Amino acid sequence: MSNKEQAQRAGAGQERGTQQMANRKYADGADVCIVGAGAAGGVLAYELAKAGLRVVVLEAGPFWDPQRDFASDELEMQRLAWQETRLVAGKDPLRLGHNNSGRGVGGGTVHFTGVFLRFHESDFMTKTIDGVGEDWPITYQDLAPYYDKIEREIAVSGPSYFPWGAFHGPYPYPVREPISANAQLFREGCEKLGIESVVAPLAILSAPFDGRPPCINRGFCNQGCMPNAKYSGLIHHIPKAIAEGAEVLSDCMVTEILMAGDRVSGVLFSHNGLMHRQMARVVILAGFVVETPRLLLNSATSRFPDGLANSSGWVGKAIMPHSSHDVYGRFPEEVRLYKGTPVLALTQHFYETDRERGFARGYTLSAHGSRPVSMAGAIATEREDQTFLWGKQLRETMLDYNMYARITLVGEVLPHPDNAVTLSEEKDEYGMPVAKVTFSYQENDRKLYQHAIGQMKRIMEAMGGKPEHVVSDTAHLMGGCRMGNDPGQSVVNEFGQSHDIPNLFIAGASTFVTSSGSNPTNTVMALAARTADKLIEAMRQREV
Amino acid sequence: MAKHSRYPSYDVWEQHQNWDVHTRQVVGARKMPQIAHRYLQQAEALLLQAIVSVLVDDHRLEVLTFVVAHLDDSLASTIGESQRKVGVPPKKELYRLGLAGVEAESHALYKTEFAALTAEQQQEVLRQISTGNVTDAEAWSQVAPVDFFKKLLHDTVQAYYSHPIVWSDIGYGGPAYPRGYVRVEKGLTDPWEARANVE
Repeated sequence: MSNKEQAQRAGAGQERGTQQMANRKYADGADVCIVGAGAAGGVLAYELAKAGLRVVVLEAGPFWDPQRDFASDELEMQRLAWQETRLVAGKDPLRLGHNNSGRGVGGGTVHFTGVFLRFHESDFMTKTIDGVGEDWPITYQDLAPYYDKIEREIAVSGPSYFPWGAFHGPYPYPVREPISANAQLFREGCEKLGIESVVAPLAILSAPFDGRPPCINRGFCNQGCMPNAKYSGLIHHIPKAIAEGAEVLSDCMVTEILMAGDRVSGVLFSHNGLMHRQMARVVILAGFVVETPRLLLNSATSRFPDGLANSSGWVGKAIMPHSSHDVYGRFPEEVRLYKGTPVLALTQHFYETDRERGFARGYTLSAHGSRPVSMAGAIATEREDQTFLWGKQLRETMLDYNMYARITLVGEVLPHPDNAVTLSEEKDEYGMPVAKVTFSYQENDRKLYQHAIGQMKRIMEAMGGKPEHVVSDTAHLMGGCRMGNDPGQSVVNEFGQSHDIPNLFIAGASTFVTSSGSNPTNTVMALAARTADKLIEAMRQREV
Repeated sequence: MAKHSRYPSYDVWEQHQNWDVHTRQVVGARKMPQIAHRYLQQAEALLLQAIVSVLVDDHRLEVLTFVVAHLDDSLASTIGESQRKVGVPPKKELYRLGLAGVEAESHALYKTEFAALTAEQQQEVLRQISTGNVTDAEAWSQVAPVDFFKKLLHDTVQAYYSHPIVWSDIGYGGPAYPRGYVRVEKGLTDPWEARANVE
């Protein structure tokens, strides 16, 4: 079968499973083995395969077929998330699963909202500028060409002028229109208060591109896009990587990294209950913030007793979510939060540090759609005041579902070493220790989200609504294998290469040093493209 | 807050011919839930149905049957819980212990089983559990009442607001593939969406 045919078949579902193992392309060894087919893994697979390297991607979850596997339904599509149980602890135990992780080819990009922001210059140097967090080993300028590349490559739509940060547009594709009632109201409310807002830059098509249609405002971005208007690794990078010769093995859970002396030699993985090996010259871990540290810690050897790549002791440490509180406000007229792309308007007016506010760093606010399951679940059980809403009160509130608007926070959370992924005593179905994820907000984080809640209420009132429900939530995960120049204080260098093991790389949000106040996917993909460039060069020079 | 549906003549299921096949199957299956349970014992299932009815303030059997069937499915399933707080029992145990706890609290407060209580008494039992102020502390020695209440409420609400009858109640347009939404701006609705009764 040609690569192209294989790419077309890529979505063809379950029978893939048995066939793929009988016809492995690189069973005798690959140049690069990538663990995880998400936002970072997809970019790397495509770039490395295009450069002529023999690439194998191992993905724990299935190879989705959007037409057959996705549905316009919240409950059913919870399976796009990583649902395996993790233990959570700390003062503010995280909600995981659909909240921040993906499982299956495409990873989190299959169910992200598509908000596609760049970090600001200040995000890479919070220690220098604000005396908090830590500086990255790179600056915005190092990443700018890769932001350009990724945005062009997937035809990001956005406004002709973006007012904040270092990049002001224009975006490759025209801004999305029309925008939803919720987004309209948000922009009007901001305008009244003198707060600038824009239509969101999105990895969602505003016009045809690469054989895919523009968005039809179906509104189920978080449940998996069925028309293929929203970017995901599943429909873009992975099929292109396969067409370039990469092999993608789905339903393959990597349980251990194999070592030969001081170097990585491959990985051990489970498929349908049987263990297999994939040997490779280079291994790239792109399994996100919980699984990448878990794998490193679980692969400890007598030579590396505290886990691989962990001489610094920083593996698993300084994980960060975004604070992502929601304010629901009730209106005298219908808003209908279910219609249209969930996030169509946002403001970064509160993004940079303003010392008068009494805390460092800042946040993005978005007009954010909501569907009955997520709204009812949140206002019933995740209230900021820690009470529950149920019975008659819940029913009568939800009878007004169509009268509600919603604003959502993406707030910077500073890194703290106590917020960490560790191994618990419990074992999962593969016999691996279950991850324990500990998280507590620190003082600056709390002041930041309290300020944001105040501003969200103020905007909601300016929109003409009455703020009625404040939901406590988080979004995204970052950190746990942070990059840095000092091998004693970080896990990988600026390219994602382990300080300890030169042919082991880490890609994705786990290498983030700080969280920023922006949705992270653009930065995840830009960093992956930068790692790909470096790795191609290094492999050509036989440096790794 | 509204006391009654703003959209009494709206039935979202009438649109199902316009939905993609997979979505139609997924949502349609909720209209014909299994009655045989896989994890819950018969008495537990009946008790759970009585509790669910109070939590969502609804007595329509077709909806409650689906919610309980969905909860039972999830209890029988090997799919993980996404996360579990350290110290909270696994979901299967949490439900079994919690349901027994509700019955114990009912007996402690009213000397009879939960299903035999008046609506107000049932609410009172659940209110005690939701705030952690239980009378029979012995019955809750292995599970914190608030942990159970939160999980149960969360799972119940997610299932309840997935039923097409409830979507119709609240005027949710629901599935929109392949046709999408055309009129998304303020004040605009596509012809097939719910229209509020003009009072």
